[in-house]
Amino acid sequence: MKILVPLKRTADPDNANKIKIAPGGAKVVTDGLEPKPNPFDEYAVESALRLTENGTNPKARLAGDSVVVATFGAKEASQTLRQALAMGADSGLLFEASDENLDGDLVARALAKVVEREKPDLVVMGKQAVDGDSNQVGQILAERLGWPSATFAMSIELSQDKKSVIVGREVDGGVIKLKLALPAVITVDLRIVAPKSITNHVTPQTHNYQEGARYAPLPMIMAAKKKPLAEAPFASLGVEGVKTSYVKFEAPPARKAGIKVKDVPELVQRLRAEAKAL
Amino acid sequence: MSGGLAPAPFAPVARGVLEFRPMIEWDEMHLSMRDAVRKFVESEVKPKRDALEREEILPYDILRKFFDAFGVAEMNRARGESEVRRAQKREEAVARGEAPPARAKRDGPDPQAGLELAMRMIPVIEFCKYSPGLITALGVSAGLTPNAIISKGTARQIERWALPLLTLEKVGAWAITEPGSGSDAFGSMKSTARRDGDEYVLNGSKTFITNGPYADTIVFICKLDEGNAPSERKVVSFVLDRGTKGLEQSKPLRKMGQHSSPTGELFLEDVRVGRDRLIGESEEGRGREGAKETFVSERTLVAAMALGIIEQCLSLSTEYARTRIQFGKPIGEFQLIQLKLAKMEVARMNVQNLIFRQIAMAAEGKSMDLAEASACKLYSAQATMEVALEAVQLFGGNGYMSEFHVEQLCRDAKVLQIYGGTDEIQISQIARTLLARG
Repeated sequence: MKILVPLKRTADPDNANKIKIAPGGAKVVTDGLEPKPNPFDEYAVESALRLTENGTNPKARLAGDSVVVATFGAKEASQTLRQALAMGADSGLLFEASDENLDGDLVARALAKVVEREKPDLVVMGKQAVDGDSNQVGQILAERLGWPSATFAMSIELSQDKKSVIVGREVDGGVIKLKLALPAVITVDLRIVAPKSITNHVTPQTHNYQEGARYAPLPMIMAAKKKPLAEAPFASLGVEGVKTSYVKFEAPPARKAGIKVKDVPELVQRLRAEAKAL
Repeated sequence: MSGGLAPAPFAPVARGVLEFRPMIEWDEMHLSMRDAVRKFVESEVKPKRDALEREEILPYDILRKFFDAFGVAEMNRARGESEVRRAQKREEAVARGEAPPARAKRDGPDPQAGLELAMRMIPVIEFCKYSPGLITALGVSAGLTPNAIISKGTARQIERWALPLLTLEKVGAWAITEPGSGSDAFGSMKSTARRDGDEYVLNGSKTFITNGPYADTIVFICKLDEGNAPSERKVVSFVLDRGTKGLEQSKPLRKMGQHSSPTGELFLEDVRVGRDRLIGESEEGRGREGAKETFVSERTLVAAMALGIIEQCLSLSTEYARTRIQFGKPIGEFQLIQLKLAKMEVARMNVQNLIFRQIAMAAEGKSMDLAEASACKLYSAQATMEVALEAVQLFGGNGYMSEFHVEQLCRDAKVLQIYGGTDEIQISQIARTLLARG
């Protein structure tokens, strides 16, 4: 089974409070923020690896299985791909593009071209990128490919014949399970990296993964340098044109300071008289 | 010559013929390692820093998690196993009455060695940004202690004691310093071993022993008392297990910094051990000479610790200078603050260049001699202390408060000038070498 994982390089999400708005609100400025892989995409890489390995020997993919990672971005985004290769993915594809000339629709159309070329059995991706928070690409991609899709996955069970998956999604009041025939598109949420959220009928049921995406072991980082990483211009995919244009960016209004009340009766009085909450 | 001042044209040298690649920056693979380790440090060390500082948790679980997640335990096990095989071959040769095979020494460039040194240094740099004590505890447990056993021990001893230390299954301590012997480690050493039949009886007390309170395996260095004058006694080392009768491991000592590295005392009263615990199973160990290699590798590590502390102080200080407003503007606009930042940057560049030199030398199949390693350690330690003090000053009142973390790095930095040979010892080492060159 071959799994394609699209990745996006984003500005350090842990320091998102440091972003600035360009004068006139033309764009978001992330200067000085370290680029990091979109966390949901890292979870997608982790999911793809868990689907294609025996968890007791995470260094090797199962016979006949492979994981391909792809990104559209600046040349430096190859670093993000190498990181995924060091985690265990087999090969990487970088299509050089500037993030400013992409939108969710164009990315989905371009990914559809990558899928045509790579012919994966499954696309696993983050539910959204933490910079734009659009949450569109997986859905549009599935629609364009005519493939079934499941979004916000919190568990994936691969059938023994590798022809279908059962995807768990958290909904109000419980978990809904969807059965998808492969090929399919799955977008993953945070809980997909819980210790037992992926089942592939090879990893023993007793095996507990470490919570979260795995770290790249140092010898694997060295080995990753020899793994294939192809680079091509985005234009080579033969798709173009963005449909989204951003009118203006504004920072959220600064929060007003709260007030202190001296006792409960004053709190109740103010809630009643001023906040009209009671 | 045409008489012009233009330089004579060189014939271009074919690519590959002229292979000259000095290390001027971290390469892509180094950066991948740094990013991976940084992610670990930020999610596993940073949130536990305060608990480590307050000594509510011990460093070993975090270090074991690092060893497992990054494949270090596995690499070290492989290294330990090859050392066992090497020692076996040596012993077989000696048993046949042949000369022991010399340690294979590569001639010429060895890029793998350069990469391996970088691979050792990068985690040191990243861990030291938050908790330098973790590296002290790790360096002693999985470096100094097993290396002491590997360099002189028998195959059986390496397998029995060094292997579980290299993988961090067990915690190790290396006991040389005594209440009355610090820089003059061998000269003033009072700990003794006396022969008693097939056994040895050990006595003495040791102090400032990193991991001492929690060590499972202890390398105890002492003098063989054959009734001769202390200055003529041979230096020998023994391996002791936690819980051995007559061995007492103290509670952690209170100290200025490096709270994530437990330090303690050891007391030995008539501890009886067999010859199997005498490292090398021979009284003719190279007690004093063997220390030299240990010193070089110890001093090399200090430069990497220094860079971590300096980089963190500089990054915190720059951010603070940018955002702290006084007299209506960011304090970074004041020249006295700028001077501090500039001095920190100079120190950062210098220490980083020393590290690049060490890596480049390893890649060339060379290593620093003791005097150069000493100079490197002396400069790195002093620069770190200066940078950390300046960082506290730059932060003003906030710098004195724990919340801003520069005070911790400042306290942690001080020991770099003391352990692994004090500044004064490094200075005399450098000077003696210079004078001997004539």
